[in-house]
Amino acid sequence: MSHEPAVEFDQLTVRLEGMTVLDRVTAMVPRHGCTAIVGPNGAGKTTLLLALLGQIPFTGQVRFSGGRPGRAVRMGYVPQRLSFDRGMPITVIEFLVMGLQNLPLWMGLSKNCRRRAQHHLQSVHGEDLANRHLGALSGGEMQRILLALALQQEPELLVLDEAAAGVDFQGEQLFCELLESLRQERRFTQLMVSHDLAMVMAHASHVICLKGRVTGEGCPHQVMNSDVLASTFGPHMGVVDRRSLMSVAEEKKCECARNHNR
Amino acid sequence: MIDLSFIYQALGRLIPCPCMEARFMQQALLGLLLLAPMAATMGVHVVNHRMAFFSDAVSHTAFTGVAIGLILGLNPDWTMVVFALVFGLGIMVVQRRSSLSVDTVIGVFFSAGIAFGLAVVSRDRSAAVEAQTFLYGDILTLDDPELTMLLLLFVFLFVFMWFGYNRLLYIGLHPALAQTHRVRVRLYQYVYAALLALVVIFSVRTVGMLLVTAMLVVPAAAARNFARSAGRMFWWANLIGVSSAVAGLLISAQNWANTATGATVILVACLWFVVSALVAWRRTRRQ
Repeated sequence: MSHEPAVEFDQLTVRLEGMTVLDRVTAMVPRHGCTAIVGPNGAGKTTLLLALLGQIPFTGQVRFSGGRPGRAVRMGYVPQRLSFDRGMPITVIEFLVMGLQNLPLWMGLSKNCRRRAQHHLQSVHGEDLANRHLGALSGGEMQRILLALALQQEPELLVLDEAAAGVDFQGEQLFCELLESLRQERRFTQLMVSHDLAMVMAHASHVICLKGRVTGEGCPHQVMNSDVLASTFGPHMGVVDRRSLMSVAEEKKCECARNHNR
Repeated sequence: MIDLSFIYQALGRLIPCPCMEARFMQQALLGLLLLAPMAATMGVHVVNHRMAFFSDAVSHTAFTGVAIGLILGLNPDWTMVVFALVFGLGIMVVQRRSSLSVDTVIGVFFSAGIAFGLAVVSRDRSAAVEAQTFLYGDILTLDDPELTMLLLLFVFLFVFMWFGYNRLLYIGLHPALAQTHRVRVRLYQYVYAALLALVVIFSVRTVGMLLVTAMLVVPAAAARNFARSAGRMFWWANLIGVSSAVAGLLISAQNWANTATGATVILVACLWFVVSALVAWRRTRRQ
């Protein structure tokens, strides 16, 4: 992981309907690393992502660096969920191709776009899902398809908003490992919102603790101490020992390795 | 003005039915053959974007546009179209900039439009007669200038759909995701809202404001049941929309039926929907 920033938040403030959701947030996301944003409900984690994606107004600055000169940084986005009519007859391959192909879907799928989509499906171990209906996918499958869709952008920055929410423990673990191998292979910067502190300890290289403002930032093993946890999540989390989080993280890794071996 | 008589003659020959010998029937058929595919195609996105209420609101402001024409001494047919366009784009502007839900924004516009129209109608009795025409629609009174406008709209809409169909599907599924993945969401949303407003207001002439939403939604809803992919949903919606329009026109012209054309078109489309629901039910049982 580089220490150069891929993204810098500088005094970023978001006010929504008269309420300050984010207050002068200053933090950075190291290039090629995996940065996790953690915090309790209502801490402004998703709001920070939406500001980054340009979906909500804010004051302060979001600076991107590392993109090719004269061109905006390419971003891939994996939302928390896709709320759509699950009865809509759209197949996974059509869902992936619709962002690649200019020719309307009713004229069929071009060979080139189909091949590209299948390649991205393969990279998320979803080649067998190509002809399934989008509405018939399980939570874990949908998550991998959304990841494939984001990867199609060939992102320099991959943004994930609680992408593992609603997926079982094993599915979450496999998803994180998949992300880690893709990140190493494709050298993108990963920024994710997560509620799972053990997962953050196991996979993140950088953490931003948020509670309306930044309560801590840096390497998870150093930052997620009792004081920061208490100021982020409240006094009851202050008693959680960092080592216990690390041991849960280790257990998670071992469990996953056992599942792979099986 | 484009001379459309060669198209009328061709349509008259295409359907060898005594009722199709009359010029007004040939004009009506041309009108329906232009409107039905537009409504069916827009309907696919209306279902995907959950915008049925939008089309309902635009259709109900038809006589407000007419009322404005009467007040200003302008041709009501044109003020109706312009007002629908402004109304549709206005909803989109407020919806994009406000934290209110889509339904609430449309509801406010809907109420204001209807209230204004009713206020004018209550003052002027001649406007009340005009308003009744828009309630039930009358495809048989379409004239050459209106058909030329429909033809131009048809060409523009399908050129836009050629380039924008996939993008609109993307936006309907998740606008923020589409925007992050470099789709020009704002542009597509505005063009789509404008085209939808125009299709709706022309459809008011065909089926009346009470049934416009059905013309958009029923073929798309039936297509959703038949189709197994988004590409095929387009073709099914168009097949259902066009066949319902042609069958509805021919049935309504028969002496034994003698019904309003717009209502008959929608009834045929609803029959399609019943069949599609049975097909979907059977498919689900097999699975």
